[in-house]
Amino acid sequence: MKPIVEMRGATKSFRGIPAFQDVDFELGAGEVHALLGENGAGKSTLTKVIAGVHTLTSGSLFVNGEEIVLHTPSEALARGIAMVYQENSLVPSMTVAQNIYLGSEKALNRLRGIYIAAQQFLQSLNFHVDPSALVGSLGAAQKQMVEIARAVHHKAKVIVFDEPTATLTPEEKNYFFNLIQNLKEQGVSIIFISHALEEALQIADRITILRDGKLVASDVTANFDREKIIRAMVGRELTGEIYGQAKSRVPRKRGRKVLSVENLSMGSIVRNTSFSIFAGQVTGIFGLVGSGRTETLKVVSGVLKRDFFHGGEVKFEGKAVRFRVPAPAVRKGIVYVTEERKAEGFFETMGIAENIYMGDMSKIRGGGLTVVSMAHAVELAEQWRKRLNIRAIDPNAKVIELSGGNQQKVVIAKALVQQPKLVIFDEPTRGVDVGAIAEIHHFINELADQGIAVVMISSYLPEVLAVSDRILVARQGKIVEEMEPQNATEEAIMYAAVH
Amino acid sequence: MSDTTADKLPPNGAEQKSRKSFVFTQELIVAIAAAVLFVFFSLTLDNFLLPGNLVTLVRNVAVLGLLSLGMAVVVIGRGVDLSLVAVMAVSLTVAIVLANEGMGFAEALLVGLGFVVLVAVVLGFLVAYVEIPSIFATLAVASIVYGLGRGVIADLDVNNIPNGLDWFLFLGRGAIFGIPVSIWIFALTALVLYLFLRWTGIGRFIYALGDNLQTARITGIPVRPIIVLQYVISGVMAFLAGAVTAASVASMNMRIVNSTVIYDVLLVVVLGGIGLTGGRGGVRNVVVGTALIGLLLNAMTIMDISYTVQNLIKSAVLLLALVVDALLNPRDEQTAQQGDI
Repeated sequence: MKPIVEMRGATKSFRGIPAFQDVDFELGAGEVHALLGENGAGKSTLTKVIAGVHTLTSGSLFVNGEEIVLHTPSEALARGIAMVYQENSLVPSMTVAQNIYLGSEKALNRLRGIYIAAQQFLQSLNFHVDPSALVGSLGAAQKQMVEIARAVHHKAKVIVFDEPTATLTPEEKNYFFNLIQNLKEQGVSIIFISHALEEALQIADRITILRDGKLVASDVTANFDREKIIRAMVGRELTGEIYGQAKSRVPRKRGRKVLSVENLSMGSIVRNTSFSIFAGQVTGIFGLVGSGRTETLKVVSGVLKRDFFHGGEVKFEGKAVRFRVPAPAVRKGIVYVTEERKAEGFFETMGIAENIYMGDMSKIRGGGLTVVSMAHAVELAEQWRKRLNIRAIDPNAKVIELSGGNQQKVVIAKALVQQPKLVIFDEPTRGVDVGAIAEIHHFINELADQGIAVVMISSYLPEVLAVSDRILVARQGKIVEEMEPQNATEEAIMYAAVH
Repeated sequence: MSDTTADKLPPNGAEQKSRKSFVFTQELIVAIAAAVLFVFFSLTLDNFLLPGNLVTLVRNVAVLGLLSLGMAVVVIGRGVDLSLVAVMAVSLTVAIVLANEGMGFAEALLVGLGFVVLVAVVLGFLVAYVEIPSIFATLAVASIVYGLGRGVIADLDVNNIPNGLDWFLFLGRGAIFGIPVSIWIFALTALVLYLFLRWTGIGRFIYALGDNLQTARITGIPVRPIIVLQYVISGVMAFLAGAVTAASVASMNMRIVNSTVIYDVLLVVVLGGIGLTGGRGGVRNVVVGTALIGLLLNAMTIMDISYTVQNLIKSAVLLLALVVDALLNPRDEQTAQQGDI
């Protein structure tokens, strides 16, 4: 089989640090190729080079046997390579048909014309989507159909999917797999990045595994099984250390009830949910995208407002509370450690000490009236640097210049300096290197041991199982299930989370 | 996770160092440029060192500096206050009109100050709670304030201060230890604001919310009251600038609202090195920026460059400063999403 896309000795570096290096990769015509690896293994970067988002630092890329450099996604598209991203790249305020034809409209664009054309086109792909529906009103699976339809419309011969099934229900997944088969029969080659090994084993012709930016295995699917893949992906014992402790340790007992939430509602995202959080243990909350887990806890901590009427009740330490902004929640002892570190986690123009000091000053009412003491700020920073093992070459370095793990530790320190009674960690280890993950988990456990109520929202099942003393599962805006970690399995949690 | 690789990058020491030293030089370059220009103009322009000119220069610098201090506080919090000049002119007109109707001038000034605070609170409310972008809110409020001044408060553009108020005129015309009082006022205000921004919690909070409003909010900083406070501070600065102006010419001319003073103020702030992205710069940047722009404006007047050409030159310099600012403090996608001006 002649490869349609080929990479030889390919390396891509950002500021001198390789995302992947010396990779040889081949994609055959009409082949379904699964790309597996841990977070940060370089999968996304690799596919982005193929899709023209990044260019190689060294090595070469061949498309149809011709060595080329793709500078922009549109160049890649012109050569028949389309990418379907994790985050939807559709325009939500436009209709399905408009999205499909986006960028290829005629000078005189008749809506009725494109609706009819889109209808026929979608039917030929066997997609049941209304071409005049607004994309914003569609579900995840339908959005994906539109993305695929758009790729096919652009005569893509290669389609790259970045985690296509992460947000789909099992039913939608089956539908998606059929779709892949259809595309394959039409001679389209497919690369898909996934964390779901079973899916890869089920639908891929070929599997390539990356680890820390290096290609560690690439072979036809028949030569792989689950264990072999995991061994290749991990390649070290570290994951066993971090995640393997679930069954061996005894969960902490419930302390007093710190938070009770009853019939909480916010728009269409949080729907009439009820649950409680207890002191001295880690409550893990699992849910897929769209389950409203982040929003629910953001309402609790005042970052979002619940519905004014029929918004339900939140009791913190036995007293009914309604926080319209985070400041009073912080003063009462609820802190929220965000999942979006860069957008709302830290102050990028400030150093470590000042970031932490901001948290310190705002923990009491009228904290703004204090006279700034840099000595105190430095002392605080030193204390937290030791406690969380924050590593910075230069203590005055701005937080934006630290690594992901150290940034996250600063965000955590800024929240914990406020001496909370309830800490909400939202995806505390997202985009964090492996070493820092272990440290952050250790620290979360330490907090629970000190009697603080800890909530940890996570989408990573092994993390939920390993760290939680109690597991809550969210689905469609509601906490639907509570489990004990000894009895829970990844399958059981996922079963509760999908709908 | 598409950008985990970027997350893992270690701090880039070399780049950081060069940026630090550049901030240092930006401020220093402006200061040096101001000093060089002063010497240059002294040598080349015959009338530059005349006492009359120096007094004009100093007065203009003081007014420009006071307005720029107010603007700086708002810009550091990632806003912009285009209502400064309107507030300055109309608040003093309020005081003068009341004084001409028989009220004691000190009381009348207090009423003028009250007017400023009222306008600032309304403005701050619009920006912080109604969440109107500051550029539009301040533009609208500036028009309303000016309209009130011309249509309701006073019948004439120019209103003269009643006779016999030497203590007030002293603010604009007097000198202490040979240094004009207006400069003392500017220096003192700059010192107070420096201490406020640098050494109080609220001052640091202003930097925090200019840096990242969402982070500030989640951290528990009371962002909305602080935004209101920013506009109160800038209003009070406008009032002080108005007082110095009125004291030096014994009147207040509301036509100044239609002049280009507000662009001069922006020019001072941006050129001085206070990034429009917020969270950066401070009082020192205002001081050096004021010195440079004040000198330039004065020299252009002496050189008898026409008003229109002056505006052309100023606009070109402003555009250049904005370009340099955009290059130095780029707005990335995330910054843009945080609703900047």
